[in-house]
Amino acid sequence: MMKDLNKRSWAIACTLCLCLLLIAFTSTAFAKKNRLSVGFTTEEALENLQMGEAMQYTEMGAVFWPLVYDQLWIMGPAPDYEPLPMIVERWETDDYQTWRFYLVKNAKFHDGKPVTAKDVAFSLWYLPKSNPAWDYPDNDIEDKKTMKIIDDYTLEFTLAAKWPGKYPPASWMPVLPEHIWKPHKRKLGKFVNKKCIGSGPYKLKKFKGGEYIWMVKNKKYWGDVPAVDEVVFKSYGSQDAISMAMKKGQIEFIGYNGAPSVAYEDYKKAENIDVAISPGIALVWFSFNLHKENGIQDKLVRQAIMYGIDRERLIQMVYLGYAKPADSFIYPEMDTYNPDLPKYNYDPEKAEQMLEQAGYVDTDGDGFRTDKKTGQKMSFEFLVPSAWPDEVKLAKVVKEQLKDIGVEIKLKVVDLDTYYQFIYTPTDDKFDLSVSSEEPGPNGSWIWEFVRGYNNGGAGWNQAYYDNPEFDKTLDAMNAETDPEKQKALTFKLQEIVSEDLPYALLLRADMIDPYRTDTFEGHVATMGGFSSWINSWTYFKVRPKK
Amino acid sequence: MGLKGFILRKVVAACLTIIAIVCVNFVIFRMAPGDPVRMMFRDPRVSAEKLEEMKQTFGLDKPLSGQFVAYVKGLTRGDLGQSFSHRRPVLEVIAAKIPATLLLVVTALVFAILLGVALGALSGWKSGTKLDTFILTASLTMYSIPTFALGIILLLVFAYHIAIFPLGGMATPASLFEGAELVWDVLWHLCLPALSIVIWYIGEYVLLTRSAMIDVMGQEYITTAYSKGLKKFRILKNHALRNALLPVVTITGVNLGFAVAGVIEAETVFSWPGVGRLVYDAVSHRDYPLLQGVFLLFAFSVVLANLVIDLIYGYIDPRIKVSG
Amino acid sequence: MNQFTNKLEKMKIFFKLLFSHRMGLAGFGVISLFVFMAMFASFLGTVDPARTGAVESILQAPSSSFWFGTDDLARDIWSQTIFGSRISLTVGFVAALITVVSGTLVGLIAGFYGKIVEEVLMRIVDFFMMLPELPLMIVLAAVLGPSMWNIILVVSLVSWPTTARVVRSQVLSLKERPFVEASRCIGAGNIRLMFGEILPNVVPLMFAQAVIMITEAIYAEAVLSFLGLGDPTSISWGMMLHYAFESGVIARTMWWVIPPIMSIVALIVSFSLLGTAISDVLEPGYKEKKGF
Repeated sequence: MMKDLNKRSWAIACTLCLCLLLIAFTSTAFAKKNRLSVGFTTEEALENLQMGEAMQYTEMGAVFWPLVYDQLWIMGPAPDYEPLPMIVERWETDDYQTWRFYLVKNAKFHDGKPVTAKDVAFSLWYLPKSNPAWDYPDNDIEDKKTMKIIDDYTLEFTLAAKWPGKYPPASWMPVLPEHIWKPHKRKLGKFVNKKCIGSGPYKLKKFKGGEYIWMVKNKKYWGDVPAVDEVVFKSYGSQDAISMAMKKGQIEFIGYNGAPSVAYEDYKKAENIDVAISPGIALVWFSFNLHKENGIQDKLVRQAIMYGIDRERLIQMVYLGYAKPADSFIYPEMDTYNPDLPKYNYDPEKAEQMLEQAGYVDTDGDGFRTDKKTGQKMSFEFLVPSAWPDEVKLAKVVKEQLKDIGVEIKLKVVDLDTYYQFIYTPTDDKFDLSVSSEEPGPNGSWIWEFVRGYNNGGAGWNQAYYDNPEFDKTLDAMNAETDPEKQKALTFKLQEIVSEDLPYALLLRADMIDPYRTDTFEGHVATMGGFSSWINSWTYFKVRPKK
Repeated sequence: MGLKGFILRKVVAACLTIIAIVCVNFVIFRMAPGDPVRMMFRDPRVSAEKLEEMKQTFGLDKPLSGQFVAYVKGLTRGDLGQSFSHRRPVLEVIAAKIPATLLLVVTALVFAILLGVALGALSGWKSGTKLDTFILTASLTMYSIPTFALGIILLLVFAYHIAIFPLGGMATPASLFEGAELVWDVLWHLCLPALSIVIWYIGEYVLLTRSAMIDVMGQEYITTAYSKGLKKFRILKNHALRNALLPVVTITGVNLGFAVAGVIEAETVFSWPGVGRLVYDAVSHRDYPLLQGVFLLFAFSVVLANLVIDLIYGYIDPRIKVSG
Repeated sequence: MNQFTNKLEKMKIFFKLLFSHRMGLAGFGVISLFVFMAMFASFLGTVDPARTGAVESILQAPSSSFWFGTDDLARDIWSQTIFGSRISLTVGFVAALITVVSGTLVGLIAGFYGKIVEEVLMRIVDFFMMLPELPLMIVLAAVLGPSMWNIILVVSLVSWPTTARVVRSQVLSLKERPFVEASRCIGAGNIRLMFGEILPNVVPLMFAQAVIMITEAIYAEAVLSFLGLGDPTSISWGMMLHYAFESGVIARTMWWVIPPIMSIVALIVSFSLLGTAISDVLEPGYKEKKGF
């Protein structure tokens, strides 16, 4: 009898325990986690987790790594774009060449190991040495010996040249854990970085190349823990699929390039979706190939071409009005922007006059001009990458506009890799002019390297084969100038030279169209380039579920 | 000669074809424009040493003959080179995509054969009637519609206007589904792409079964069966259809080459993450090593499928044994 | 002279049969319509299909001013559809011509000479027929670069073997016919035999092959363009679909997609109807069945 009772109480106890366990489990399972899903297109998706080019140059990669890795400092939000300390408390420099960074003391990597100056030194030194290199023009440390680890949380290093200006060096560089990467230091770009152990506010949970990245918040983050539990980057086969997914509530916003302008109305009409318009981060310009022997080498012709282009119509036709004209490599909202540059407002008559003056007239009545001296038709090859649909459209409109002033344009539409190969080797004469685009960002002085002559230390960015010693001298002076006012004056001069000489002709800046769901999250942060870009991780740090 | 000789001949022929394919493949891609090594760097600040290093990695520093030897050597080791756009071994990239394509093709093929043979048999059986004309015209039309055109129509109708199917892909992106839910999700995504291929295949099987059926129906043993007073359906099932199926088996192998086309188109339209979509991506990135690899894969599988079909045929067709 | 009228009579019967064949008539009718469209494209209420329009008329639905609506550069889709037929038909006819002529030549030579010549040529044909067509075309088009002429070249390169094989087997049987033997006896040389005696008898077959090849070429042009391997500066139906598909507004702009799809399908279907009709008519015994 006693035995029986014992058995029974045992059974009851066990059942109770089981029930409790079950309840505990289910309650945690059902405790609704908030998840921020963000849409990308398949072309933008990250294929692998190596710290190589994919991480820097794919849209998903460029947004992803700043969430899992900390940086020394981070670009602040609009409108000031101040450099804000991230994993450091502060930095100091006396001469803009030797810099000292003081790390925060409680930072830990996702695997629990502390973040120390050694990790920072390791990343700063080896990332630019990997192949292909992870680099940025402002982190050129001359010698490993100049890197001094003063204590666990203080690092000092000396740059190869002065780096004056608003922003400190070592921008947009992840701090990698040395204890994981050390064995691969010679080949950082090749290491299969499956776990992505960093010290950032998010941790990698699951990754499927080309499909999705699933992150969870780092609850033990040393700084402000995000309000979002999980972030998922999803890739979709097309813009249509993205729009459908957003309407169904499967994504909250679009990860990098926003929505195409044709889709604006459609999103605007949809329920629980609003559309934010931000100034773009990408500048679109023409690169003139000055190496090839033809009319393009004549400044007058280049200027005439610019007068022959109706930017307003380009903006309306291609971007449906969602773009602004641009005339400088510096954004108008920056204080180094020179407002007095020649504007090249549409003036076809002036363009025709200039072409005539340069010696090009239509002699045979076919509508196109010929060179008086050589008798050759005025015809230029216009290089465009097929992967940029807006620019392909733009090229088509430009072709029509230049036809009106008697200049024939032959479109050369090639795939993106071939395009990059062609524009970065102007000496191969594969194009006469091309449409180009970059995202300089607020800390964009690196863009001037596009203009530096090959004979003067130009490292290969120069698409125009432009060579102007005066420009290079000014650029060097600007880079070394520590007085902000003087530096600004020099920047003004750089802009003047480019606008006057037109190796590059700035055209426009497309707005960022960011549709987003209004019923689930709030607190999206918009900067130039919209909610989510390589300079803006703030949305992921600040966004919170709606009550 | 006999069966052994027959098999030997077929195998040798297949091997020769494969060797020829490998050579052609090598030659075509050496015609490709652009400097493959330069194209790998989006950052133009590449030093000469790095370029040289890359050239060595890809074996492009050797003369053409040396490149060919290296290429063939690589192939024998299963090394198809490095993909430009994925920066991974081509074989790895392709292998990851094969299951998705197999799922699509096999599903489509099974449905197409079942429906196509049934309709074709019916049509051949009722040859000359209105039903026959209708089936014939319908299949001819279906067979002529390019798969991508059909795919776009299906997409517009069933994914946009009556939004009952997804816009593409193989599963809801990052749905994190598991088990039965995942299976349902994949099946749901499979419907439209499979349908677009099925409709195209059906036409082919209908036409084929129909003509084989008409052939068989004219044969003596069918007339004999009739005169014996056998039931119509039994004649159809036991005698006519069985004999008409032989060409259906053959065509399945022979037409694998065409099937590949349908797969490329359907996968592109529906962003189905298989080998066909890979072709599209490789084309848009001009990823020549990858394109080369996929082409080899397609060519090899067509040759092998043909070989297998030939061998099976050799076994079941008594005439080959006799005449050799 | 007698021979000529005899041939004319034969042709007459052939076309009579073809037009009494329902599929043949339907196919021929639709094709004529497209040929008419291509020839008189400029008179059919069209504008320059590449000319971009006013900003207000971007992506307009069909209306009285734009019969088929406009695309994302405000270009007239009606005009694009009409002018697109030129590209499709040009690719179709030129590629078919090249294919059939070269295929026939190879088939003729192989079938006529036999032995080692035949063996070698037919191995090459077998090899080409083994290769999966579309991937081969994609690969070639990708390597050669995007242009209409490259597409024609690619299609011709890939499809001639079918014709060669069909022609060869015909030649094999023709070779044994008494009339060839007779010519040989009166001293006709090989060239004379091949082109004077055998070739005329292969012509109907070439005709049937040409129709099939046109179908293939039109299809190939459409697919390659759709996949982004077409000439980006010209507007073909495949390119229209390519752009529509990439625009991101395909769901709202049915009018942009339907005309090219329908044109492609209509043209291909009618050519295959015509092809079926022709092979029916050429079938031995058909003529007698229809009472000729």
